[in-house]
Amino acid sequence: MALISSILALRRDARILKIPPYLSALCIVIGIAWLLVLPLNEYSRNTYVSENALLPGQVHTYFTGSEHNVFRAYRQEVHAMIDRPVEERSQRLGDIFRSNNLKVATQKYSYHVSNRTIANENVYAILQGPRADATEAIVLIGAWKNMDDEVNNSGVALVLTLARYFKRWSLWSKDIIFLVSGDSTTGPQAWVDAYHDGHDERYVESLKIKSGALQAAVAVDYPAGPWGHRYDKLHVLYDGVNGQLPNLDLFNTAVQIASSQMGIGCAIQRMFDHRDSYKERLQTMLRGMVSQGLGHATGPHSSFIPYHVDAITLSTVGDGWHDEMSLGKTIESLFRSLNNLLEHLHQSFFFYLLIQANRFISIGTYLPSAMLIAVNFSITSIALWVASGRSTEPIPNPASTAPPKDDSAAKKDIAALSTESRQPEMELVEQDDHKALVPKASTAITERHLLFPLLSVLTIHFLGLIPLYMFNTWGAENLSRLYLTFANGTTLLPLVIAWFLSELRPLSTQEVTLIQCFSLLLLGMILAALATLNFSQSFLIGVLATPLSFVRKTNKTWLTAIQLGFLAVLNPVMVAQWSAKLLGADLQEVLVLAAQGWHVWGLWTQVTVWLIWFPAWVLGSVVVAGGVMEGGLVG
Amino acid sequence: MLSSLSLFLLSAFVALASAASDYHEQLLLRPLPQDTLLASFNFRSNESQTSFEQQNFRYVPRSLGQILQHAHTQELHLRFSVGRWDAENWGQRPWQGSREGGTGVELWAWIEAESEEQAFARWLTLTNALSGLFCASINFIDATKTIRPVMAFSPEGDHRNAPNLHLLHGTLPHEVVCTENLTPFLKLLPCKGKAGISSLLDGHKLFDASFQTMAIDVRPVCNLDDGNCSLEMEQSVDMVLDIARSKRPRDNPIPRPLPVDQIECDSSKGYNAHDTCFPLNKGTEPGWTLEEVFGKPLRGSCPLIEDSDDTNSVCINTPPERTVDIKSDGEFRETKFASDTLRCYKLPVGADFDLVLPEQKMTTGLNRPDPQLFAARSINGHGQERGSTQAIIKNPSTTEPVEFVYLESLPWFMKPYLHTLRAHVDSSSESPIKETYYRPALDRHRGTHLELRMVIPPSSTLTLTYEFEKAILRYTEYPPDANRGFDVAPAVIRVLSPQAADKQGIYIRTTSLLLPLPTPDFSMPYNVIILTSTVMALGFGNIFNLLVRRFVGADEVPTTAGGLKGILQAKVAGIKAKLGRA
Repeated sequence: MALISSILALRRDARILKIPPYLSALCIVIGIAWLLVLPLNEYSRNTYVSENALLPGQVHTYFTGSEHNVFRAYRQEVHAMIDRPVEERSQRLGDIFRSNNLKVATQKYSYHVSNRTIANENVYAILQGPRADATEAIVLIGAWKNMDDEVNNSGVALVLTLARYFKRWSLWSKDIIFLVSGDSTTGPQAWVDAYHDGHDERYVESLKIKSGALQAAVAVDYPAGPWGHRYDKLHVLYDGVNGQLPNLDLFNTAVQIASSQMGIGCAIQRMFDHRDSYKERLQTMLRGMVSQGLGHATGPHSSFIPYHVDAITLSTVGDGWHDEMSLGKTIESLFRSLNNLLEHLHQSFFFYLLIQANRFISIGTYLPSAMLIAVNFSITSIALWVASGRSTEPIPNPASTAPPKDDSAAKKDIAALSTESRQPEMELVEQDDHKALVPKASTAITERHLLFPLLSVLTIHFLGLIPLYMFNTWGAENLSRLYLTFANGTTLLPLVIAWFLSELRPLSTQEVTLIQCFSLLLLGMILAALATLNFSQSFLIGVLATPLSFVRKTNKTWLTAIQLGFLAVLNPVMVAQWSAKLLGADLQEVLVLAAQGWHVWGLWTQVTVWLIWFPAWVLGSVVVAGGVMEGGLVG
Repeated sequence: MLSSLSLFLLSAFVALASAASDYHEQLLLRPLPQDTLLASFNFRSNESQTSFEQQNFRYVPRSLGQILQHAHTQELHLRFSVGRWDAENWGQRPWQGSREGGTGVELWAWIEAESEEQAFARWLTLTNALSGLFCASINFIDATKTIRPVMAFSPEGDHRNAPNLHLLHGTLPHEVVCTENLTPFLKLLPCKGKAGISSLLDGHKLFDASFQTMAIDVRPVCNLDDGNCSLEMEQSVDMVLDIARSKRPRDNPIPRPLPVDQIECDSSKGYNAHDTCFPLNKGTEPGWTLEEVFGKPLRGSCPLIEDSDDTNSVCINTPPERTVDIKSDGEFRETKFASDTLRCYKLPVGADFDLVLPEQKMTTGLNRPDPQLFAARSINGHGQERGSTQAIIKNPSTTEPVEFVYLESLPWFMKPYLHTLRAHVDSSSESPIKETYYRPALDRHRGTHLELRMVIPPSSTLTLTYEFEKAILRYTEYPPDANRGFDVAPAVIRVLSPQAADKQGIYIRTTSLLLPLPTPDFSMPYNVIILTSTVMALGFGNIFNLLVRRFVGADEVPTTAGGLKGILQAKVAGIKAKLGRA
């Protein structure tokens, strides 16, 4: 209690305003350091299967023998379809499914994004579980083309062979849907949208046959050609659209079955050679965070996760000695496990960071780091709010016997001034029976003028809609040029706005402080909320926006120049440029994919960038650029 | 067409036979496409009304008879079903759907009572008694699962003597039907599964079937000529067996991949090699015998059947070219009906009987009558708050419109918005709904009851959609078992026209639905309660302290120190003051 009362007493202390910048910096340092210690053994845990019903790897698998002969034949069949038109391909795939007594239907889709047309056809077949009551289903996906645009020849053949093999079992308690989607991201999205009736019938055909509620989905990516290819490891992909993740139990079951039962090593996040060192764990985690933060679809499974259907993709990598039958057995065992489920996957974690195929960090451990980053903005914002309410004059200390030190002007005027006038203006304060003399400046109330700062903050945030609209609707061929224009335009934008303001309506110091205060308040609040939904996105944006807490309007031209230069590098548009280069991606492709994500996958990343990060950056830069104008005018 | 004719003949034939004798049983086998076999068992027993009232039971089992008397039930229909009928491949349902129920348990009965309350009380008596008799959770059919259908059901029996009849209907879509329900079912039969066709009924095979339904129907039947009434009890079992699966021996039921030399490969493929094989469908009807498919031999005729020339206990409905061999040591007799598409056999008494059908290449396809309607229902949307239901009903006939009643019985926590109910036919803009009966749900007291009379023009598809909201349950209302969601009972469709040939009617049932409700993770509340209590205690404690405690400046506090030293100092000061004054 004593602590609280003494803090209350400190409230009006001038020194208290000096603390927040250090506190903010401390939050950022701790936030980043927190992330860096996460890969250590003390902060991560070994994965485990929570759902007892799954019993991974407890069943004997029988997918061998003549099934291999059938698989080779189907692989040849699929290979022969590669150069065929889509309709013929669907027809032939459908015929194979039908010859195994499954119910087959097709679904056409045709999206128009950035002046391009993405059109293809999904083929799917439903195995009605003999004892099932059509209330639940699990999905096995073989996309026709994988994420690298290779034909998923063996993967599709494996789906066909497994369909034939599964049909003979009578133990299925759920329906099994075999989906051969036209491509890896758009096709599954069209299918799963239509399955839940969330599709736009102008672009996507409705499904002709349906089964029950989807419980889980597994996608196979095995692009080996008609003569096969022995692989080394399974690459398990688990990121969903908008950074949502599947239940950790599904991932664990797949990893445990592959590694323990089948002896196939598992890799995640393209870390194919993981020796479990700190550096590699950190690298895995950071790759996972970048992937989650971007929120893009990483495989056919990604589209299922927003519908609360847990899904993963198993992709074969490297040269080794595992063949298609071991992959088939892995899937068989995985489906037997999923078939055991009595309820929807819910036991294990939905929020986690993986640092290795069998080590993870749970949300309780990692969340504080993004929260601390977000809190740093709120702290600065509160400090700026308090500062905006203080008068700009310094409050003299009436009890001080020492003369003001550095006031040279005052020294000169000492002789001219009478002793009375040197004393600050005092005021008599009465409370109960006590009376006290306090300096007038400390009780003076400074009125905050909120309207203009509020309006300007809101306006800039709404202006974010313009790039959001343009980048998502312009044709693919113009996106590069649009981007260049935007990159140049936004670098100059703060200077232009600041110049207009200085010409039309020069801002008072209080207004500048309030603009920055509101902008940071909004940023801090939204990032904190975002951290609970997409931790990585919130963390990455938070770290890249940290300078916004520290930049201030200043009269020193060199300081303004440094601040502006720093901000120019961290301009969201520029960040896109250099991060694309750093991650080895083609910017043009990224822009096209982003537009596709917006229209097809329901990607929210652009919204956070254009409506939250970008406006915050513009406001911070305008505040700094105001210094240039004043410095320029004064100079 | 031939086959439907034969079916019709058969049912007429059965009706005739049952009228003549007191106990009658029949097994109709019908091979279906995709190497499946439909086996329809039918057992009928009669008891004259007078002997029934005097509790003189012969063929109708006493256990069930007394329950019916006690609950004043005039007509009873009880169904246990698993799996779904694949109408696209298998065609029309057995008995035109009138002897099957929705997934799980379905029960409806006409109960004699003076008021609705009395009817409901008797209904509860009936459900509780049946629950004990059939080892099923029928006692969980309470007010929330009971409806009173208006158009979808009509009595099959003659109820001229019973004016105050109340129809009550209840479903348990989540009930898992298994062997414990089959055993009491067999015990009701006069031959108790020891002889006759019921000796084929085996739990392992019955519950491995792709579709299986058990039905019990009790109704009064009156002879129009002499006015003599009798109570007729009909028990039926319909199952669709996958022949390949049923033929697997019980000690080795695993469908291991066949040896390569047993698979027929397409040698016309260019890549065909010793290790590459494109499997071909043999295009032959698989061979089977009764013993292989049912896992038990047929132990001759039930001796309680009245011996006459036209008691044919086993019938098989196949094209005439299909070879059917008989293996039996006893004396049997074969009769052919409906241009040889229906072959019936009179079973030997006391000797095993087996049908042997060899694998055969057929030139004529299987006959398969089309159903009047195809129906499919599914849940759309996702999320915890709301969703929509979509039923697609198709009329395959190119000439005749179909009039039908669509009955939905929804649980109270699935709250439909009637204003969002849309019925749309793709071939016309006219609304297909002719009549609506709707009884809204009351929270925790009764479910929604919706009946629609609709007409579909020929070769059209009707899409019926409505939206609903999901209620949030109290945490004690969740069942204690693993929670996968709540099952919504199948919709019942009764075809009104074209009319059924008999009083049983034509029925189609959709599959049940899974309704995922917002489900708490039941260990989570405890963690949350503990955490919030801690936070509350800390936060509340501090704020309360700040509010009630008076803060004073350090200089305003008397400078005495606390404790013993303070007391002593105060005393000393007091004494000093006294001394000073003095």
